Amino acid sequence: MAVIEIEGLSKSYRVYHKKEGLTASLKGLFRREYRLVEAVRSIDLTVEEGEFVAFLGPNGAGKTTTLKLLSGVITPTGGTARVLGRIPWKRENAYRRRFALVMGQKNQLWWDLPAAESFRLHQQIYRIEPTRFERTRDELTAMLGVRGLLGQPVRELSLGERMKMELIAALLHSPEVLFLDEPTIGLDVVAQYNVQSFLRHYQESRRITILLTSHYMKDVAALCRRVVVIALGRIIYDGSLAGIVDRFGGHKVISLEMTDGQVPDDLACYGEVIAVEPPRVKLRVQRGVVPEVLGRILAAHAVEDVSVEDPPLEQVIAEMFSSTQEQRAV
Amino acid sequence: MSPRPSYFKVFLTFARNSLVRDMTFRANFVIDTLASISWMAMNLGFYALIFEYTPSIGADTGWGKYEFFLFLATGLLVNSIVQTLFMTNADEFSELIRTGSLDFALLKPIDTQFLVSLQRIEWSSLGNLVFGLVLLGYALAKVEYVPGLVQVVLYPIYVACGVAILYALMIAMAASSVWLGRNQTLYDFWFYITNFSRYPREIYRGRFGDPLRWFFTFIIPVLVVINVPARLLVRSLHPQTPEDWLLPLFTLLAAAASLWASRWVFNRSLVSYRSASS
Amino acid sequence: MRNRLTTWGTILRISIEERLVYRGDFALGTLMRFLPIVTQIFLWGAVFAALGAAKGAPSRIAGYSCNDFIAYYLLTMISRAFSSMPGLASGIARDIRSGTVKKYLIQPIDMLGFLLLYRIAHKLVYYVVAAVPFALVFFLCRGFFHGWPDAATLLAFLASLILSFLLGFFLEATIGMVGFWFLEVSSLLFVYMLFNFFFSGHMFPIDMLPGVWGTLVKLIPLQYLAYFPAAVFLGKVSGADLVWGLAIQLGWVVLFVIASRVTFHVGVRRYSGFGG
Repeated sequence: MAVIEIEGLSKSYRVYHKKEGLTASLKGLFRREYRLVEAVRSIDLTVEEGEFVAFLGPNGAGKTTTLKLLSGVITPTGGTARVLGRIPWKRENAYRRRFALVMGQKNQLWWDLPAAESFRLHQQIYRIEPTRFERTRDELTAMLGVRGLLGQPVRELSLGERMKMELIAALLHSPEVLFLDEPTIGLDVVAQYNVQSFLRHYQESRRITILLTSHYMKDVAALCRRVVVIALGRIIYDGSLAGIVDRFGGHKVISLEMTDGQVPDDLACYGEVIAVEPPRVKLRVQRGVVPEVLGRILAAHAVEDVSVEDPPLEQVIAEMFSSTQEQRAV
Repeated sequence: MSPRPSYFKVFLTFARNSLVRDMTFRANFVIDTLASISWMAMNLGFYALIFEYTPSIGADTGWGKYEFFLFLATGLLVNSIVQTLFMTNADEFSELIRTGSLDFALLKPIDTQFLVSLQRIEWSSLGNLVFGLVLLGYALAKVEYVPGLVQVVLYPIYVACGVAILYALMIAMAASSVWLGRNQTLYDFWFYITNFSRYPREIYRGRFGDPLRWFFTFIIPVLVVINVPARLLVRSLHPQTPEDWLLPLFTLLAAAASLWASRWVFNRSLVSYRSASS
Repeated sequence: MRNRLTTWGTILRISIEERLVYRGDFALGTLMRFLPIVTQIFLWGAVFAALGAAKGAPSRIAGYSCNDFIAYYLLTMISRAFSSMPGLASGIARDIRSGTVKKYLIQPIDMLGFLLLYRIAHKLVYYVVAAVPFALVFFLCRGFFHGWPDAATLLAFLASLILSFLLGFFLEATIGMVGFWFLEVSSLLFVYMLFNFFFSGHMFPIDMLPGVWGTLVKLIPLQYLAYFPAAVFLGKVSGADLVWGLAIQLGWVVLFVIASRVTFHVGVRRYSGFGG
């Protein structure tokens, strides 16, 4: 049985309008206008044990909402989901002790107290046996290099250190499933890297199932083999990272080095000229017509060197998102 | 892996963490304790002033000066326990559920109501508890009637009932923020409703008084919170009117019913909970 | 001049909108404030009932009959509607602590003047909005009063109300200015609130205080925030005493106007000395 099984899951909200003006405010006393926001629209997903899956998507796509549905924090308006065989929004204690949710830039640790005290509270709540608890805690603090900071009040820690403490708190009870919502957001490059390598090592050694949402390509590329792209509440892609470019990369980039050191002027009829640095030039060309265009150029001009590349991944994804945003605006 | 957490141990950890936290803000702690005690002292002064002019509150009610002090002391005990254990938590819960920040509480494998109601202990309100105990001792020494053993045993039970009723009211109101939004009115409402509970039931008399007394005894049972335990100490147990045995029985029932009702409201509010968008 | 009026208008409009956003609050809030009066009515009824039972006992306490007590409390609701300044001192202290007070220093806006205008606007909104609930309650409770006082007393009552507004404002503003010297004004504020509650006549007519306490309380300005206007209306202060009372009230107002300005200027100079 798969660890995560989602079928037709949907979640919609009512968002109330507030209009400007005095009369509108008075009217608001008696009747309120609202519109329906469909955050998640009937998604289907299966995740097997030990997978490390990334959720990618623009803001408001429904990634965080999905994670919250799987954590049981909110209840869906339609569809079903099972994690470890349990229905999350029933909030059974037996389920809650087997998974963890970490949200970037959101703290669950007591602000004014040292992290160590919050960990002790965790131990009590999750009923972790003392020797196991100490061993796990020591392991995790060593892996993340925050041993000496345990005694400091959480509010005195830097953002990166706080994030590490949050991760430790989440993993103290050795969950089988981990949900990470933008864990590296707001962190500096070094901290991001540390968190990423930690997650990779942890996942490889424990073989737990992890669902990660992120904006950062580096997170996704470094950690996940499988990427699920969500936009406008729907899953539009489920597969490898490289596959995204194949599916959504509408263009390819042809780089030419001209033999006679001069770049001809008429290249614009073959495609969009992105960069010109004699003797090199870059052209952006629709995927489907690449062979044909290449043939014509080579026939018409003397070319020293040629290469055909995919556009940068970030660009593809950015284009993919912006097109869905346009759809939404319409 | 072991099953349920030890709720008692978790509570102790809450208490310990709150104490550690309060001690890091020592100055505030001292000020808060002094502040609530001085507030109580002022109130006491007010009633002492009234008793300069009159022998009792209400004719033939039995609430003379020191009997009334017993009443005040009981009020202090009930309210200080509620303030220490529940008030901050109810406030915070109202804020969390309204702003959609309750997520982390919902993730823990422990009863959510327990977690939400007890995670912060206000040690500075214990000052009032001490003040109440001192006042209790003082008034008992000065009053004519000496309560028997049964009454002494029943007293803490009924104080606990009072605490339960107030807690139930408080948490139900806080939970309702999920439907009503930021409700300062509700918070004020709480203050005004419990205001009724701070006086002996007997003062509510007459054309408007009687229905008011009935309503706040049997519908929103705030009038039994302080009245019933205080009465135990002031009069003998032998029932003189039907009310004398009806009320204590009813109080036990009301405490249980209030707790049950508050849990129902709490759970319904969680169903309507909307997590904040990130 | 026109600019001033448009600014006024905007402040007024925004204040009203702000209050209307939370519809639950708006609908019930004002009526709620009268609920403690209900318990007071019963309490004093019970106090006087005990007195009435004992033969030969006076039916007045410190010159107030049972009805007088209720009338007194209702009137203090009005005087406190004028003199209470929620959030004024703490707002000033917070502005100082967070540095937003700087905007008053670098712009040609006088901080005290701005705050005063803002308060007036808020109060006006409040009075308009609260007029109906207040009128309703007073109409229902008209039995507790002896009828309307004469025109002169009414005028004096109005004068004392306006003065109590000014006194309340400048007193709390001065307390707020302490924020230039101490970061945490909240404890000082709490003490002020405590004393205010007890000695301003909010809790009971200060005529009730015996001996030394009574004399002491007459010396401090707090009585003018709740007790004095109510006493004027009820005719407890009349004739020469009334004129004197108003004069002293005015004196206190002037004192605190000066105090708030002085503390502001001295505080600002000290504050700028720290830079940043």
